[in-house]
Amino acid sequence: MSDLDDFKATYFDECSELLTELEEQFVAIEAGERDADRLNAVFRAIHSIKGGAGAFGFSALVGFAHAYETLLDYVRDGRIELADEVVTLCIRANDIVADHVAAARTGDALPADYGMDEKARFDALARGEAPADDDGEGPDEFDIEFTPVMVSLDSDVEEAEYDIAFDLAELDDTFEIVPMAIDHGQWEVRFTPHRALYARANDPLLLFRELGALGEMSVKAVLNPIPPLSDFEPFDVYCSWEISLVSPTLTEAMIREVFEFVDGDCDIVIVQAGAAVVPAPAPAVEAAPVAPAAPEEAAVSDLLALADDEVAHLLDFTPEPKPAPVSAQDSFEEPPGLSFAELAESLKPATPVQPAAKAKPVALAPAAAESSGEEGERRAVGVQSIRVDLDKVDRVVNMVGELVITQSMLTQQMDETLRARYTELVRGLEVLAQTTRGLQDSVMAIRAQPVKSVFSRMPRLVRELGLKTGKKIKLETIGENTEIDKTVIEQLSDPLTHMIRNSADHGIESPENRLAMGKPETGTIRLSAEQAGGNILIIVEDDGAGINRERVLGLAREKGIVAPDITPTDEQIDQLIFAPGFSTAEALSDISGRGVGMDVVLSNIKKIGGSVHVRSWTGRGCRMTLRLPLTLAVLDVMLVKVGVSPYVVPLSSIVETIQCSRAAFERVPSGGQVLQVRGEYVQVIDLAERFDMETETEADNRFVVLCEAEGSAKVALIVDDIIGQQQVVIKSLEENFERVEGIAGGTILGDGNVALIVDVQGLKTTIVHKNAA
Amino acid sequence: MTLRVLTVDDSRTILAMLHHTLSNAGFEVLQAEDGQQGLDVLKTETVDVVITDINMPVMDGIEFIKHVRATGLHQSLPILILTTETSQDKRDQGKAAGGTGWIVKPFDPEKLISVIHRVVH
Repeated sequence: MSDLDDFKATYFDECSELLTELEEQFVAIEAGERDADRLNAVFRAIHSIKGGAGAFGFSALVGFAHAYETLLDYVRDGRIELADEVVTLCIRANDIVADHVAAARTGDALPADYGMDEKARFDALARGEAPADDDGEGPDEFDIEFTPVMVSLDSDVEEAEYDIAFDLAELDDTFEIVPMAIDHGQWEVRFTPHRALYARANDPLLLFRELGALGEMSVKAVLNPIPPLSDFEPFDVYCSWEISLVSPTLTEAMIREVFEFVDGDCDIVIVQAGAAVVPAPAPAVEAAPVAPAAPEEAAVSDLLALADDEVAHLLDFTPEPKPAPVSAQDSFEEPPGLSFAELAESLKPATPVQPAAKAKPVALAPAAAESSGEEGERRAVGVQSIRVDLDKVDRVVNMVGELVITQSMLTQQMDETLRARYTELVRGLEVLAQTTRGLQDSVMAIRAQPVKSVFSRMPRLVRELGLKTGKKIKLETIGENTEIDKTVIEQLSDPLTHMIRNSADHGIESPENRLAMGKPETGTIRLSAEQAGGNILIIVEDDGAGINRERVLGLAREKGIVAPDITPTDEQIDQLIFAPGFSTAEALSDISGRGVGMDVVLSNIKKIGGSVHVRSWTGRGCRMTLRLPLTLAVLDVMLVKVGVSPYVVPLSSIVETIQCSRAAFERVPSGGQVLQVRGEYVQVIDLAERFDMETETEADNRFVVLCEAEGSAKVALIVDDIIGQQQVVIKSLEENFERVEGIAGGTILGDGNVALIVDVQGLKTTIVHKNAA
Repeated sequence: MTLRVLTVDDSRTILAMLHHTLSNAGFEVLQAEDGQQGLDVLKTETVDVVITDINMPVMDGIEFIKHVRATGLHQSLPILILTTETSQDKRDQGKAAGGTGWIVKPFDPEKLISVIHRVVH
C-alpha cells in the first residue's frame, strides 16, 4: 500500500531528525546541562519514535523505546537521578534506537536479544524506585434523593408513558426506583454525572446514543434534587438518569465501555435486572436545601428574565447550551409573577419532553452551527518552511543545469559579426546569463544544509574513542552553520568519522605521555568548517604527536608505494597515508581500522568532487583539510584544447595561465621538465602526452595552465589552446563509463560535444606514483 | 455537513496518518504542531473536535487543553487525547485538564472514527 509507504518515508525522515536531535541534546547533557527542557526534548524524541513505530508494527523498536521512554520519564520527574552512568546508558540506548530504526527501514532483522542488556538495565533502574501509584480520586459521598421520571427514547411512544413527577412540594420524597419488568438480558443503569463530566465536554446525550445502539433502551430522567430557582446554579448538575437496556447479548463490560471516557466524572451503577439494586454511592450534587415556599415574586421574575436559556438547560437536564424542547419552553412563557410552584405545576400536563437524544443533531448543536459559517477556508498553520522531496529539488537542479548549458551555448554562438549586428540580443543574453546564474545559486541554496547535522554526531564519537583508548580527548567544533550541498553532507559522515578516529587513535597521545611532553593532559580535536571561495573547507586538527614519518615511510617502502631510491619530502610522506594500499590492518588499531583505510576517505571525498590534504607537525599535531565543492552539480571551468579534443579544468584550481613561449622550463636530470614560476619549481604535465593525444600545435604556441593542487602544491598543465571560461554541468564518468585516472568526470558543452574534466590532484598523484614505482 | 477536526501533534508521521484517515472519512482536517499553534488555530477557526498529542514542544497537550477550556467559547468543544496503551497517568492528567476522551496509539482507522463519533454530535 503506497499510502503506508509514504507514511513510512515520513516516519523515517522524522526519525533521522529526532536521532540527530537526541545526539545534540546529549552533547549538552553530557556537558552538564541537565535541565528539564533538554530532558523533555529527549523524552519527546523517543516518544515520537516509539509512537510511529507502533503505527507500523515495528515491535522490537517499540519494545526498546518503551523501556527507554519509561526510564526517561522517571528521570524527568526526578525518580531516577541523571547520574553519569545513566547518561552513558542513554547514549548507548540512542545507538540502539538508531539501529532499530535502521533495521526497520531496511527490513533487516536485528538479533532477538539486541539491546536486551540495556533494556534490562532500564527496567532495573525503573524498579529501583517503584512508581508511586496514586489515582487519588475517591468518589464523593452524597445522599441521593430523587423521584424518577420516565422518558422514553422510543420515538413510537410519544405521549403514552410519559409522566413528569415534578413537584416541589414533594422534594423530600425518598428516592425510589420505578420497578421494571425482570427479564433476561435486561440491565439497569443509574447514571449520575458530575459537574466535571460537562466541563470536559462530555455529553450524556451522546452516551445515551451509544447505549441505545447496544439494545432496546428507555431512559428516565431523575429530577428531584433540583433546587428552587433562587438557589439554582446554572452550571451545576442537578439530575441523573435511569436507563434500562434490553439485549440478550449485552454484558456489563459493554455498558462500562460506553462510559469509558466519563469514568470518574459520574457515578454509575449497573445491575442486571433481578439482582438487588444497590443505591448509587454518590449523587453529583449536594442536596439543595429544601425550599418548598414560593420565592418572592420579584426574584422570580428577575430570574425568569434571564433564565430563558438556563431554563432551557434545566429542561434539557444538562448545563450545556442546547435548545430546549419547544413545548417545554412554551410552557415557561407564562406571565411573570407566577409562583415557582405554580410554574412547576404548569409543567405537569406539558406534552412529553422529547429527550434530546432523539432530536436531530443538526438542530441542537450550536457548536456545529457556528462552524458551518466558516467552512472551506483552511488556514496554513505555522508555516515557516516547507518540506520538499529531494527528487523534486534535484529535478529543478538538473533543469537549471541544462539551462546553464543552453545559455552558454547561445553565448558561444554569438560570433563577432553577430555581436556587432545585434547589440540588443547581446544585452539580452548578458541579462539571461546573470539571471541564470542567480537562479542557479538560489537552487543550490535550497539544497544547502548546515554541516551541523554531521558535526553533531562527532562529539559522542570522540567520547567513545576516549573511553576505548583511555585517552582524554575533547572535541571543539567551529563553523557548524556553514552550509554545503545536502548530497555532500550525506557523503561527509563516513570520511569525517574516519579522520576523527585516526586523530584519536594515532594522533592524540596517552595522558601520561602528554603530561611528560608538557602538554595539557586532555588532547583536543578541533573540527571546523568554513567557506573559502567556491569551496568548503572542513578541517580536522589535533594537538597530538603528528604523523610518525619514519614509520609511514618505512611502511610505504615495504609495500612498494615508494621506491627505495626516492626520498620524498616530509609533505609527500604525510600525503602517503592516503595512498591506495597504504592502510593495512597492521597500520591500524581496532579503532581506526574497520577494514578501510584513509585511502577510502580520499576516494569518498573525491567522489563528491573534493580533495584531502594532510599536514603534520611532529610532536605538535596534525591537520587534515577536506576541500569540498559548494555544489556538486555545476562547475566553473576553463575550456582548453588538447589535440583535437576539448578538456575542462576546474577554475577553482587554476592559478594563472602562461604562454609557453614565455614560460621558463627547465630540464631535470631524470628527464622530466619543471617550470620555474617566481622562484618556485613546478612539476610539468603535458596533457597531450598524458592523455596520448596527437598535437600539431607548435610548442611555443601552447599554454601553461598553472594549477594549485592540494596543500598549495602547484602543477603546470600544458595544453594546446585556451578557449575560455564557462560553467558546465558535471556528469559522472563512473556512472556512465568507468573511473579513469586523471579525469574527474565529463560534461556536455554548449555545442553538444563531450569534454572531460581534468582531475588536477589526481594527475599529480598519479605522476608521483609513477616516479615512485 | 463536514466536520472539522483540529489535529495537534509534533510528529509529522502521526499528523500525516491522522490527516489521511480523517480526510478519507470525510472530515476536514486542520493541523498544528504544538499546543501554541493549536491555540492560534482556534483563535480564527471553528472546529468540531480536537485531537491532541500530549508530549509536544513549546506547549504540551495538557497546557493546551487547559488553555482551550479556559476560553469560554470552547467549553463544550470535545478534545480527544492521543495516548499510548501504557500512559495511563498522561491520560488522567489530560482528562483532569479537561480532555473529553482519548485515542490509543497506534489507532486503527475505524476505531479512530468511531471514537470521534462518540464525542461529537
